[in-house]
This record gives sequence, C-alpha cells and structure tokens, in this order.
Amino acid sequence: MSGKKRRYSRWRLAVQTAAFLVILINPFLNYYWQFSFVQGWYQSLGIGKLWFVSPLEGLESILVSKTVYLPLLIGMLIPVLLALFLGRVFCGWICPIHFLSELEDRLLRLLRIKRRDLWRLPRMVFWFALIGELLLSMIIGAPLFVFLSPPGLVGREIMMAVFFHTLALEGVIVVLVLTLNLFTRRFFCRYLCPLGALLAFLGSKRRLLVVKREEECLKCGLCDRACPLGLSPSQGEGASLYCWNCGECVDACRLNALAFRWRAIGPRVQSDSQPRDE
Amino acid sequence: MGSLLLPRLAHAGLLKSPVGINHLRPPGAVPEEIFPAKCIRCGRCAEICSYRSIRVLDIRYGVYAGTPLINVEEVPCYLCMKCVDVCPTGTLRRVSQEEVRMGLAVINRRQCVTWRGLALCRTCYNVCPFKEKAIHLDQLRPVIDERFCTGCGLCVHGCPLTPKAINIEPVYAFERKSRDVREEEAL
Repeated sequence: MSGKKRRYSRWRLAVQTAAFLVILINPFLNYYWQFSFVQGWYQSLGIGKLWFVSPLEGLESILVSKTVYLPLLIGMLIPVLLALFLGRVFCGWICPIHFLSELEDRLLRLLRIKRRDLWRLPRMVFWFALIGELLLSMIIGAPLFVFLSPPGLVGREIMMAVFFHTLALEGVIVVLVLTLNLFTRRFFCRYLCPLGALLAFLGSKRRLLVVKREEECLKCGLCDRACPLGLSPSQGEGASLYCWNCGECVDACRLNALAFRWRAIGPRVQSDSQPRDE
Repeated sequence: MGSLLLPRLAHAGLLKSPVGINHLRPPGAVPEEIFPAKCIRCGRCAEICSYRSIRVLDIRYGVYAGTPLINVEEVPCYLCMKCVDVCPTGTLRRVSQEEVRMGLAVINRRQCVTWRGLALCRTCYNVCPFKEKAIHLDQLRPVIDERFCTGCGLCVHGCPLTPKAINIEPVYAFERKSRDVREEEAL
C-alpha cells in the first residue's frame, strides 16, 4: 500500500512543472532565438499550427464583440472537450497559479507553518463570480478577465520581463491571490475564479470522478483535510462540480477507499467490473 | 456620455483609446471601437514581432491593458505580416502588405525642410516600402498618395526633424462602420 501512496501528487507536480516551464522558457526562445514554434501562454497557446484558446477568454471575446471568428472556436475546442470529459483538470494539473500555490504550500510545510481555512464562503459565490464577470464585461463593453486573469498574468509578466525588461503593474493581482492562500487555501480558485467556474460548469457531467468505497472507509477525515479546495471527499464531494481531480485526497487515503473512476458513458451502460460507480 | 459621467477616468486614460498620432494598432486590426472587445490579450503578436515594433500596454491604460500598440517614432512596422498570422481571435485580420491601413502619413509642410525650401531632404521618400506609389516627389518635394499609404511609419521613423515633419494619423481606426460591414470583415 505504501508503494501506492502519494502517487498522484508526484505526477501532478511533474505535469505542473512541465506546464510552467513551457511558459517560462517560451519567451526566451521567442526573444533571443526567434524560435516561434511554441508561442504564448495559457490564454492562447500555439504549438506549431495547433492553437489553444482559453474557453473563458474566447467566450468573452465573442460575447463582447458580438462577432464569431471560426479559428477562435476551433482553438477553444480541445480545452472545452478536456473539461467535458475530465472536469477542471486544467486548474488542478496545468494552471500556473495552482502550481505557484503548491510551491507556496510546500514552502509553508517546510517552515512548519500550519494553516486553517479561515474564511469559508458559500460555494454559490463561484457561480456568481462567473456570471457577474461576464455581465460586467458585457455592460462595460470590454472583456475583464482577459487582462485581469491571474493564470494569464503569470504568462504575461514573464513575457513582459523578457521582452520589455519591465513588469506590468497588474501583476500585483498574482501576489494578492498567493497572499490570500495564507488565510484560506486556494481562496481565489475556490470562490472567485471565473475560468474555474466555467470549466467546472462544463465538467458537470464529466467522466473522471473521485469515488469513495463506503465499506473500506474508516471516516478518519484525512482526505477532507488534504483537499486544497476544502471539499469533503468523505461525504462524496469528490464527485461534485467543484472537484478539480487533483488526486490529493486519493493520495491521502491510507486505506485506498478513494480512487479515480471512469463514469460509464450513458445511464444504461453498466460495466460488470465497476458496479459501485454510480 | 461616458466622459461626462466619468471625467476623471477619461482624463486618466482609463477609457480613452491609446491609439493616436504615431501610436497605432498592428496591421489588419479591426476598428478601434471593437478592438478591446475582441482582443484576448494573449500577446502572441508581440512575441512573434521580430522587430519589437509591437509593445504590450499595461493596466495604466485601463481596459486597454494587454493590447498591442506600435509607436512608430520608436520602432515602425516593417510589414513582415507575421502578427496577422498568429492572432487567434481575428482582431488582426489576415491582410496582405498592400492592404494594411494602420493610418495615413501626413506631411506638415510648415515643418518639413524640403517644403520650406531650406534643404533637399527626401528621407521619407527613400525609406518608403511603396516608393512612387504611396509617396512620390513633386518638384523634389514629397507628396503622399492616400490610396497606397499603409501607415507603416517608416517615414516617421526616418524623418530627421524634431518634432517630426511627417506623422501617421490613425484615420481608419475610428471610422464608424455598420454592423454588416463589420461582420463581413470579421469573416
């Protein structure tokens, strides 16, 4: 059993580090070697002719400008499909803010500073953040998340530093988000991130879930304490809308009562090997 | 109306467009009225620009933060047309070099030494990528043809005078267009 322990967190850190290195190294390649095969950051990333566009940024652009541009929709396709099938995995496994927050967590653990989640808001705030942000953007007539999004700002600040040898002032938002982590883990990600809310909404019928096996659970509560989003996997919240499938609770469980499971496609199809999925 | 309600914001530049004389959007840009709406601030145009003509604005420009801008007095646009190929939102449309209309070069004849008869300078003529079309010499004095001028700003950059005797006016950026025209252009 100990061999299985902490499996996902190691994988996750590797993926996050790789994802962060992409946006860290790219500006240098573009600036000093004019190597533009990989371009941009997590607002729009281009790998050769394969383009990704962040779904919320794309949606804002369409809603506010009231025009549709087909390449934009195609760029949003893969991120949207990823969210539909796997849920908020962008947040849990790729987002540079979550990566920096995890580094912050590790640093605090190293310094033996203990935290409690001081501020808890109703989860509904998450949806109000998304709807409010979209409505406000449409009223003002300018998309707001495109220049205020913390994940995007990390990329932009790195690019600004490399290209223009300066930092943009709005980078304080990133610092603010990381500071909020000191009081409540992932306060921004939990309650305020409109992009996270959109991905969670898209992932409401996702296939990949954290499922609890009732008979093996001792109700020790380790998983609840491990969850960076403050969810309670012991109460089955690993299958809720808000879970970003990071696997922290699966790692924390000593009895393997929690595991990632694929939900069968369609309500009637039930595979014999996984009778407890539903 | 907006400037009436929020005079201070307008003066601080939070609502005012950063586009002005010699401060231009990259080639193929949609009209300024929908530019900040369409652009997702991904910065890819600035990353691909080999000449570092395109700069990215910061939060001091309010809702225009993160949008690309070219100051042709510092670095003009060399019309390499790389940025229009990487824009994922259609904010920079894929136009050819000749179709670029970033603005229109306007000569200040009271400032220009050639027009004043003080010297025989023709730097703007020499550096223009569309010589004899966008700019020609009329009795050795430079004259712009608005049918061909792309507004790339090479002439502004080249002009040896301070203040510049030739400037790019962003005459096309603030044109009001009907929705139908805009949609056609967006496609």
